[in-house]
Amino acid sequence: MGRRFRMGNYRFHTPDGVSDMLPEECRTKRELEQKLRTLFSLSGYQEIETPGIEFFDVFASGDFVSQENLYKLCDQEGRILSLRYDGTVPAARLAATLFKDTPPPLRLSYVENMYRFRESGGGRQREFCQAGIELLGLSSTQADAEVIALAISSALEIGVTDLQISIGQSEFFKGLMEEWNIPAEDAGEISRHIDQKDTVALEKAADRYGLSSAAKETLLLIPALFGTYDTLEIFDNRVENPRSKEALRNVREILDILDDYGYTKYVTVDLGMLRSLDYYTGMIFKGFTYEVGFPIISGGRYDRVVSVFGRDLAAVGFSLSLNLCMTALRRQDKEFAQVPIDTVIGYSDKPGMRRLALSMAKDLRSEGLITLVDCEGMNEEDLRLFAESRDIEQMVFLDDEDCGCEEEDEK
Amino acid sequence: MITIALSKGRLADQALDLLEAAGYDCSAAREKSRRLILEDEKAGLRFIMAKPADVPTYVEYGAADIGVVGKDTLLEEGRQLYEVIDLGFGACQMCVCGPASLKGKLDQIPNKRVASKYPNITRSYFEGTKRESVEIIKLHGSVELAPLIGLAEVIVDIVESGRTLRENGLDVLEVIADISARVIVNRVSMKMKAQTIMPMLDALRAELARQKQKEGPAE
Repeated sequence: MGRRFRMGNYRFHTPDGVSDMLPEECRTKRELEQKLRTLFSLSGYQEIETPGIEFFDVFASGDFVSQENLYKLCDQEGRILSLRYDGTVPAARLAATLFKDTPPPLRLSYVENMYRFRESGGGRQREFCQAGIELLGLSSTQADAEVIALAISSALEIGVTDLQISIGQSEFFKGLMEEWNIPAEDAGEISRHIDQKDTVALEKAADRYGLSSAAKETLLLIPALFGTYDTLEIFDNRVENPRSKEALRNVREILDILDDYGYTKYVTVDLGMLRSLDYYTGMIFKGFTYEVGFPIISGGRYDRVVSVFGRDLAAVGFSLSLNLCMTALRRQDKEFAQVPIDTVIGYSDKPGMRRLALSMAKDLRSEGLITLVDCEGMNEEDLRLFAESRDIEQMVFLDDEDCGCEEEDEK
Repeated sequence: MITIALSKGRLADQALDLLEAAGYDCSAAREKSRRLILEDEKAGLRFIMAKPADVPTYVEYGAADIGVVGKDTLLEEGRQLYEVIDLGFGACQMCVCGPASLKGKLDQIPNKRVASKYPNITRSYFEGTKRESVEIIKLHGSVELAPLIGLAEVIVDIVESGRTLRENGLDVLEVIADISARVIVNRVSMKMKAQTIMPMLDALRAELARQKQKEGPAE
């Protein structure tokens, strides 16, 4: 089967789906993280940190995550543990336990690494950083819109300006299935066909259930139409049941509110977006940009998640994949900033020179200048060559207490 | 620029015929050469020639926006894609096959061994649809051999005319799915390049409808 490595031969390698981050990229990532943290915090979302390792039951009990996707370990008592899969489930656990006496709404945010056992490729990693928010305890459309707006702001904030947000509504589909008397297990299959825009399979399904020709037409329109108010209106004229009508009203109002944010141009409606129907209980949205084949943002309303932990609390939120965004930015030629060193200081072996160099470095750093102090005992000429080779703006060589403060400018 | 991934071979030629009939200039892709990327800047099209099983991968990752590939490959690869048009050509069926004596008695054999080039389709059919555990033996070709020499009780494979089966004393026991060539689209491209991709899909659908009408009610 696979190539056989002797023990120890993996020591130069990293496992599949994880990667090292070199200085430029790392610095960019920290900057982006910081921008998002600031944005979240200014919007009233308090950051939390949950453990990287949880009990397996935390992620597995809601039936939202399939166990094949979880990294699993064992503790000393033989209990199964799992690496953090997403930010929502741990936040839901917190909301139902440590925050159980805190009156809603709760606004929480996180910027953390997630671990997914099977995900890999195309910019998707098994370990990747997600920034996200959870708005818990509000079931209003305004809350839905606030979350989508914050998702859009997040993408714009980190420079992803070619942004397309698609909004769907799981209740629209569920209402239709009720209206047409299609049992839940079959509805699951139909939703998958819609989600894949597989009209061939949809037509067959429609015939199998003996749908009227009008109903069949409606079913086939779901994966075909995306627009804004026009799409909503077409469907509004085609459905009867209150559940679907309410879903359409919800999306219409979200569009109205997003218009007040000035975000209309980023948004389209796609009612055929029907992934994870067991998880979502209302609006669903995804964010796309050029040059990465996967959505960079994923969010929606999932009111059942907190109740798994014993507290009845509405929930809506989103997460943004920082790694995918960085891949997109790089491929869209939005260059990452270099890491410039401002000053390098060298000193001779005359008494007091080192002390002077160290205190000068301290002063420069306190002004925000990136400052190196030589540790190799370089003479003035070597230091100059070093500064040139590293593109360091300014070099200072301290040789004499009197002239110590005279700076020699490279240019 | 739209990148189209084609399955090398007959499927690619049929797909190009259709695209041309629908009004797209595919001369770049017609070049008889060993080049794997064929680009026509003027038409805004780039073709990549890939092994069929790799086409869904290129499209899922967004390396190609659109792909043309058999439904068998899609079922086996299980990728997250939009599967938008059934092109109709390359039609066949994915079937469970074995000795004709097993007809109707398939469920009586516990823990049967199933040989196939399509282990994922096999697993999802037996474990998912039929709720039954089987031992899957992955083979790379001439799967019909397996039941003949006792490697497996039955096989899962595509059946076109059924001639190979019959010549080897085998028969179709159960049909898993209808197979034909499909147009697939990357989920992001569908949104980000909708202005180019939607008209192309519409043109292909219109051309298919025209051809179907011309063929008349034969089908």
